[in-house]
Amino acid sequence: MMAEIRWAVAHIYSSFNNTIITITDLPGAETIARASGGMVAKSDRDESSPYTAMQMATQLADKLKEREIRGLHVKVKAASGRKSRTTAPGAQAAIRAFGRAGIRIGKIEDVTPIPHDGTKRPGGKRGRRV
Amino acid sequence: MIPELITVKIPQDRIGVLIGHKGVVKWDMEKRSGCKITVDSDEGEAYIEGTEDGDPLKALRVAEMIKAIGRGFSPEIAVSLLEDPLHLFEVISLSHLTQKTLKRVKGRIIGKNGRTRRAISDLAGVEITIYGKTISVIGHYHRINAAHDAIEMLINGAPHSSVYAFLERRRRAETEGKKWYIE
Repeated sequence: MMAEIRWAVAHIYSSFNNTIITITDLPGAETIARASGGMVAKSDRDESSPYTAMQMATQLADKLKEREIRGLHVKVKAASGRKSRTTAPGAQAAIRAFGRAGIRIGKIEDVTPIPHDGTKRPGGKRGRRV
Repeated sequence: MIPELITVKIPQDRIGVLIGHKGVVKWDMEKRSGCKITVDSDEGEAYIEGTEDGDPLKALRVAEMIKAIGRGFSPEIAVSLLEDPLHLFEVISLSHLTQKTLKRVKGRIIGKNGRTRRAISDLAGVEITIYGKTISVIGHYHRINAAHDAIEMLINGAPHSSVYAFLERRRRAETEGKKWYIE
């Protein structure tokens, strides 16, 4: 069943301020295509919206078809660190849009780095003083 | 392709909720998502197996939902994660606090007879649970930020009145069309 279809990896970074999709080959050494929120959205606050992510994914899907890549593995990453560890809805929308553009979705993995200790929160000992 | 297995670990005493009376909750989740869920009640682990032709995202959402149940949400609330792709689940950890402060901070967030918690969830439009060393929030992704900030303010010792004022301000900004985009 897995006849020769070409696979690539979509690295989706999805924070509450932006979504960045980078498509690489399987080892992740060569970037095939990439898109970020600002390439599609007009205003800053739309960069992270699910609709923007969808448009980005459809644009990328066209580029992938030129290269005859039919399948994508997905690695989603949230803002991580001191920021949110849950992926913003942009990631999901992008994956859906890839699927709808006729690209097979392989493995989906959450690669948000989770520290065992982490760094100190900003603001210092006495907190943020306004 | 070999279907992928996602493992979620949840506390022992939430396993019963995850399965439900005679397995209704688990069965309902499987029906909604088309995933296969296996629960190891000795280890407190749930394994989610996506189906071959099903929506590959569903398995991830089921994992989120199970995590939410493990963090104290009732299945009725957690199911919104499966139904609405714009709903998010967020955990605020209090594990850095000592026993005594943990109790105090939890009390601050819950309030007398749960007043504060209810106020936050009403004003921000989210669902909140406080369980063990975590506070968890489920809600629309615009709304979750306000709730998160409010809870963070309470943890850092802000007076309740200013937290309510903050939430009111956020809400007013949203109704005036500026949405979450203030400050």
